[in-house]
Amino acid sequence: MDKGSQNTDRPTVVITGLGHVVPGLPPDRDDCDPRRYLKVRKTRKFMAKQDDLALVAAGRALESAGLRDRSLGEKTGLFIAVGYVPFEKNDIDLLARSSIDEGGFSMDRFSTEGMDSVNPLLTFHCLPNMAAFHISVSFDIQGPYFVTYPGSGQFYSALESACHCLEEERIDVALVVGVAHQRNFLVEHHFARIDQAVAPERLMDASGCIILEAVAHAGERSAPIRGRLLARRMSYQPHNPFESSVPYAESFTGAGCPNVEPFGRLGAASLPVMLSVTSAAGGRIVEHSLQSGDGIVAASSWDLS
Amino acid sequence: MKHRVAVTGMGVVSPIGCSVGEFRENLLKGVSGVGQVTLFDPAHLPTRIAAEVKCDFSDMGFRDRKIAFAVKAADQAISSATECGTVPGAGEGGINASISLGLGLELFSMEDLERYRRPGFQHPEKLRDRMMFLQTPSDLCLHLISHIHGLHRTPMAHVSACAAGTDAIGAAFRLVASGRRRWMLAGGTDSMINPLGLGGFCRIGATTTANEAPEKASRPFDRKRDGFVLGEGAAVLVLERLDDAVKRQARIHAEIMGYGNSFDAHSISEPHPDGRGALQAMMGALKEAGLSPHRLDCISAHGTSTPKNDAAETIAIKRLLGDHAQHVPVFATKSMIGHLISAAGAVEAVAAIACMSVGKIHPTINLEDPDPACDLDYVPNRARYYPHEFVLSNSLGFGGQNASIVFRRGNSA
Repeated sequence: MDKGSQNTDRPTVVITGLGHVVPGLPPDRDDCDPRRYLKVRKTRKFMAKQDDLALVAAGRALESAGLRDRSLGEKTGLFIAVGYVPFEKNDIDLLARSSIDEGGFSMDRFSTEGMDSVNPLLTFHCLPNMAAFHISVSFDIQGPYFVTYPGSGQFYSALESACHCLEEERIDVALVVGVAHQRNFLVEHHFARIDQAVAPERLMDASGCIILEAVAHAGERSAPIRGRLLARRMSYQPHNPFESSVPYAESFTGAGCPNVEPFGRLGAASLPVMLSVTSAAGGRIVEHSLQSGDGIVAASSWDLS
Repeated sequence: MKHRVAVTGMGVVSPIGCSVGEFRENLLKGVSGVGQVTLFDPAHLPTRIAAEVKCDFSDMGFRDRKIAFAVKAADQAISSATECGTVPGAGEGGINASISLGLGLELFSMEDLERYRRPGFQHPEKLRDRMMFLQTPSDLCLHLISHIHGLHRTPMAHVSACAAGTDAIGAAFRLVASGRRRWMLAGGTDSMINPLGLGGFCRIGATTTANEAPEKASRPFDRKRDGFVLGEGAAVLVLERLDDAVKRQARIHAEIMGYGNSFDAHSISEPHPDGRGALQAMMGALKEAGLSPHRLDCISAHGTSTPKNDAAETIAIKRLLGDHAQHVPVFATKSMIGHLISAAGAVEAVAAIACMSVGKIHPTINLEDPDPACDLDYVPNRARYYPHEFVLSNSLGFGGQNASIVFRRGNSA
């Protein structure tokens, strides 16, 4: 059991910022635009939806922490869980149309027309570490990082790494981000083939970010204290993923914690999004319980008062 | 840190050998693993060469090669760690153990895509076939290896691209050193030698187009370098507390002394021109190791054979070592096996440790006309007898993610 090491009587780490984005739900009914957070405007063309989501959530969380305009540098770390690799249907269709002939897939066509037909920056749009890059460059984060994937269980690994780094005083500030771009061809295909299939309309694109900060650092800059992590635990049941599947179950309870139903499946973003939503709605306590579909069982308690 | 951390087992699947012994022998001979692409017909792609793994693991039944590579490397590592007749875990087996692995990108099969688009397509019936159709989520190999070896703590997936293998070992080192895990498997696995993988790198001009002389194409620090050669493979290490390893009389290949990682926060495809992030990662690793830069004996470079990386890494090393830089050999494993992306740091860690354990450093091959911007001792073309105690290994990722790790020679001969 991976138990949290947070001392609840004398916390060493506090939450000073929260931010989230869920396009399709208020207040982000329309797709969010990351440009206001971009430090280098020309990097916009390299960004895919997952990068947009992560950058906006991180930007909002940093604003909430009063860190948006500060130079973050080497004493700030980024710990991010990204979703399954996304691939848009438009790109797939374009690639397929120009790579398939009557006999099936044609490497001749693919190596000429197929590759030339797609956006030359498509490679950047698929790499799972690009969200980390865009956040680091836009907010000048130069400290340690952990980039993991692909679900809500792995978000706990990111959270654990961030807590360890703060407790060991390697950093003063940690951005803990969960992001999932799920409404696309490849991710929808994945969720359609698993034993507990998920309908595409239940999959949400989302990102959330928690700013964790060392108590002393937060005190020095008179930062707003938005809550604290009371307890976390994580366990794991090894299994052969090619022979058996593990049921998925996730719940959020607590005083003022909103109904999770409208949010659907948020993937790696679920916990930070629900914390941010609860905080914005004036909620106080969040109890999260997770049985991810890959053998990870995790739970955490948060006080947002 | 509460505990010193030993490397007591190693496994490798590489373009020049599928065992640690064969890999080391070919490294020291300066054998190139680069050749024409045979896994598929590259047709008219600008790059038609790669460093493929030659061993056949098709009997394992995985369509995604990196899963088979990881399983094989983990098996080897466990066998190596238990050669002495005892097992890691201080009597608890895998109860307090887990795996930390750098994972490559999940790319889909173009042939499957064509089938998927046919009218009336139905997903395969068996779970195994469904999970392998079109693409296999890369993290499945973590769970499979945890299952095979009975590792009961949460596995860690690292997807920091070219730095992922080193990050995976570094994270595992910290977990064992802090007492949060008793022992761990750590490494990386990748295979992007498929139409979409190679095609994608061609599209952004990252790979060499020197198709006529494959074995000469990967040439780190040479004036004629024009991009990296794509490689594939995996490596896995067994990490455990040094005192546990001594107690059970395990062979200690190396001790991990320190790890550091950092962001460049600079450019999506180019390293910081002053080597800022790389310098910070190296300094972090040395600080944790308690070593001054002058104690460093040699460096396993990221050395991709791309024009910008090799020059920037040279600058970072010179900033780290100052005048001492001219006296510290720097070698590039990628000259022989190409760039294994998410597996690179792990395979290069095995290369560095395996050569250190016999008192040698392997060459950087194809260094015939050194770039004036690259003016260090890169151990050109010939292995060197060089007994040493400390080696630092760099992985500098696409997207400005940098990781460095310091190993100390173990007690193996």
